[in-house]
Amino acid sequence: MNLLNISCKKATYLLSKKEENKLSWLEGFKLRGHLTICSLCRKFEQQTSFIGFTAKHGQEQAVLSVEAKEKMKTVLKD
Amino acid sequence: MDQTTLNPDQWINKYADALYSYTLPRVNDSALAEDIVQETFLSAWKARESYKGEASEKNWLYTICKNKIIDYYRKKARDIVQPMSQNDHTDGYFDEAEHWTKEDKPADWGIDYQQAIDNKEFYKVLESCKKKLQQIQQSVFVMKYLEDLDSTEICKALGITSSNYWVLIHRAKLQLRTCLEKNWINLK
Repeated sequence: MNLLNISCKKATYLLSKKEENKLSWLEGFKLRGHLTICSLCRKFEQQTSFIGFTAKHGQEQAVLSVEAKEKMKTVLKD
Repeated sequence: MDQTTLNPDQWINKYADALYSYTLPRVNDSALAEDIVQETFLSAWKARESYKGEASEKNWLYTICKNKIIDYYRKKARDIVQPMSQNDHTDGYFDEAEHWTKEDKPADWGIDYQQAIDNKEFYKVLESCKKKLQQIQQSVFVMKYLEDLDSTEICKALGITSSNYWVLIHRAKLQLRTCLEKNWINLK
């Protein structure tokens, strides 16, 4: 059954492909099989999708200094 | 187009902070972010004749800014001679059979993910973990998760192969996850 078994390293690698629907039929089959029996890789999937989701959120409003803005204005007028 | 909206002073007052806030988490360097914002205004100003007003002024500036950021990633990617070095950091996460090692296996975070979305501390740690990634990993992570580009577009922009890309994004996720677990979960 080694043909159908994949390692955790391979499974976590394939999870990124899964996100983009880029798994081949066989890869998808192997990954589903692995995730069924491996709670660690399931955790990895949950935690990394959370990271991916939050990457876009929670960015604080950053403010440029007055000097930086004045410099930009000068540059544009030249 | 209304001439008053083409006033550079007004542009900068209106959009500089927004563009800077957009750029900063994408390049993780305040001086660089400042330069990119300035170049954005400069390019926009030079191209003002060709601006047809089809997109809103704001969207037009954001598009220019986004392209500047991707240009920066592209240049950075070119500087990296051998992104797929033999020193594969992720090898540390797995044992010889490629299963999780005791130290690096995902722990139970025991958090409510819905609540964690609003947790300020989490975002601080996420930012600092992002900074620890190698530059090219940071680029692929940002392009994928902040810019919503797909692997094909990212490979094209950075001039990397798709197999390089999958390895890079895999490593970035392994590193970020471990870093968050060590520095955020353990803080709680």
